[in-house]
Amino acid sequence: MKNAIETINLTKIYNNNFKAVNSLNLEIPNKTIFGMLGPNGAGKTTTIKMLTCLIQPTSGQAIVGGYDVQKNPNEVRNLLGMVPQQVSLYKDLTVMENSQMCADYYGVPPDERDSRIEDLMELVDIKYARDKRVGQLSGGQKQKASLVASLVHRPDILFLDEPTIGLDPVTKRTLWDLIRDLNDEGHTIILCSHDMHEVDMLCDNVGIINTGNLVAYDTPQGLKDSLLENNKHEITKTLSQISDESEVSTSTKEYLDNISLKKMSILLKNQNDEIIEAIKKSSNVKSIELLRNGRVNLRIDSLDDMAVQNVLNDIISSGGIIKSIYTEEPSLEDVFIKSTSEVNENDRA
Amino acid sequence: MIEPKKFWWMIKMEVISLKRHPGRLVSIIAFPIIMILLFGYGMGGEMTDLPIVVVSQSHGDLTDLTLDTIKSTETYHIVEVIDSLDEGKKRVDAGEVKAAIILPQDYDANTTQQKGVTLYLDSSDQMASQTLESSTQGIFSRISNMVASQTSVSTQDADIEPSISHSLNNFKDDISLHINRIYGNIKYIDFLVPAILGMTIMMSCMMGMGKTIAGERETGELARLFMTPTSVSTVIGGKIAAKLLIELLRALILIFMAVFLFNVSIKGGFLQTFIVLVIGALCFVGFGIMLSSRTSTQEDYVQLSLPFSMPMMFVSGVFYPIETMPWILQKLAYIFPLTYLNNAMRGIMIKGQTLADVWLDLVILLGFTLLFFIIGVKRFNRDV
Repeated sequence: MKNAIETINLTKIYNNNFKAVNSLNLEIPNKTIFGMLGPNGAGKTTTIKMLTCLIQPTSGQAIVGGYDVQKNPNEVRNLLGMVPQQVSLYKDLTVMENSQMCADYYGVPPDERDSRIEDLMELVDIKYARDKRVGQLSGGQKQKASLVASLVHRPDILFLDEPTIGLDPVTKRTLWDLIRDLNDEGHTIILCSHDMHEVDMLCDNVGIINTGNLVAYDTPQGLKDSLLENNKHEITKTLSQISDESEVSTSTKEYLDNISLKKMSILLKNQNDEIIEAIKKSSNVKSIELLRNGRVNLRIDSLDDMAVQNVLNDIISSGGIIKSIYTEEPSLEDVFIKSTSEVNENDRA
Repeated sequence: MIEPKKFWWMIKMEVISLKRHPGRLVSIIAFPIIMILLFGYGMGGEMTDLPIVVVSQSHGDLTDLTLDTIKSTETYHIVEVIDSLDEGKKRVDAGEVKAAIILPQDYDANTTQQKGVTLYLDSSDQMASQTLESSTQGIFSRISNMVASQTSVSTQDADIEPSISHSLNNFKDDISLHINRIYGNIKYIDFLVPAILGMTIMMSCMMGMGKTIAGERETGELARLFMTPTSVSTVIGGKIAAKLLIELLRALILIFMAVFLFNVSIKGGFLQTFIVLVIGALCFVGFGIMLSSRTSTQEDYVQLSLPFSMPMMFVSGVFYPIETMPWILQKLAYIFPLTYLNNAMRGIMIKGQTLADVWLDLVILLGFTLLFFIIGVKRFNRDV
């Protein structure tokens, strides 16, 4: 089986005629980490609900682990684990009791149940709280407890919905390590997150869903490169092209105009008008922004390495002393904003 | 198909939860006690010690006998015996007392003419005035018989708006009435308690299901269960079993409190009463399942259940017999399951009937239960 999940023209129309998912065609290869991105209301949750057999698709097909979600829902459920954004364990039960309950609900053999739970607790480092009630745990501990309960039946596919939201940086890193470990063990992981850094760092593939459609799909690097290659991937219409520009805030519009330009940030020891003027006149400098902390942010419209060097030469020749400098390629966040700001003319009508 | 292991987890969870929250256990015990105290003492008692004045304008044996009889009647609390008619009326008008019993100047006179006694009554208090009227009629009827005289009570109109004067006519002993109460001397509390038990079970079942289903939908626990390979009927069945267990405990407490506090006799036996309450609980748990099948939050559930629970409380004959209600409410009463629960409970507790005697009420209740469960499970979706 090549793909853990495959959808063919998957569509969901709710009773009020709202089309939440529109002919979604998606392939998630086995044993990979897939990042599912999209703005709020884009159709991610509906897609997950269909894939986890909580709701029925209106049309199309979804194959999970080789089973059709409509024909074999229980087989699909056995293959899935879910760590929801909202920790949905019983607060009055302990971590152990919640895990035991989940194990029994998934039909884990009784003689294996407790040893599996103990192993998982060790893996996610929550064993010290095994007899604590879930209601008494911190946010990070709850997520770990939720992971144990979701993994106890050894699911092939694990859905993680905003697993690190609200967690401190240290706990976040621990969970990231855990997600990588689980993937190394052979679990396919579907990660829904708004944390672009998290998705960029963890995922093998990323799909961006907007207004019920898959608008971008590639590796994180592939998506970023697509911006650098002058919109090689087919984004048909961006906010910058919308006729009614009053709908778009100025800052968003400027951001979109500059999204495929290289960012450069310089801290000068001796900033003065002469130096700033020299930067403005420098070839390839598209825009300049002076920050209060003395930093100068630039946008360079050439991806050539010499472009950066030319700007630096102009600064030095005008008497500027550079204390620090960094450059930045377009990020996954840039890709996300550009992709999701696409407006389908039909939908707008 | 129901899977026993999963089913058992629902009950276990409820028990663990109760064990770890002693406050909730206290609430389960306190709620029926509060209900029974509130309704039993608040609404089930008889009216006694109503403040009155006696205006006595005559002196003699009959007056003394009358005063003694009034004093020994529990209904009255004689604030003062006075001789001024105006003073007596003034006190009633001012609301200091509920009534003035006015004995005329010729009350003790040995005459063949009828003697007019006036009950000057504050009719703004309907319950008190009804009690005083019937009690006073009874007293003078008895006195009339005792002295075998021509004592009569005449009419006098009140000249002040909120008060009335009432004519109390002499009763002749031409007809002898023997009252044969087939279920004994039933007090209002006896009538009330069986229905209070039913109503309490209804309220706690309906509220409890809101917390269990809509609440868990809201907080996500139900979603986790529905993502497992488990049938809707197993999850729902488990929830029902857990809820029923709590309600049985509550029903037991209710029955014991009714017997202990109000000396209510359960003529049909404890076990039969308990069985009827269990059927009632099952019915209202089903009602809760049906209402919560599509609600996504507890708030939604409460808003949805109120239009059912509130009319059911007042129309199903809890406080007054259904037959005394306007015809439209009488018709409405028979579409509410609480009516049948109340009928069965009263049949068993007051009349000493058996389950076989109240079979029709029980069959209707079970019919409602089946209907609620079918609709509930059919309408229930896993979408959370």
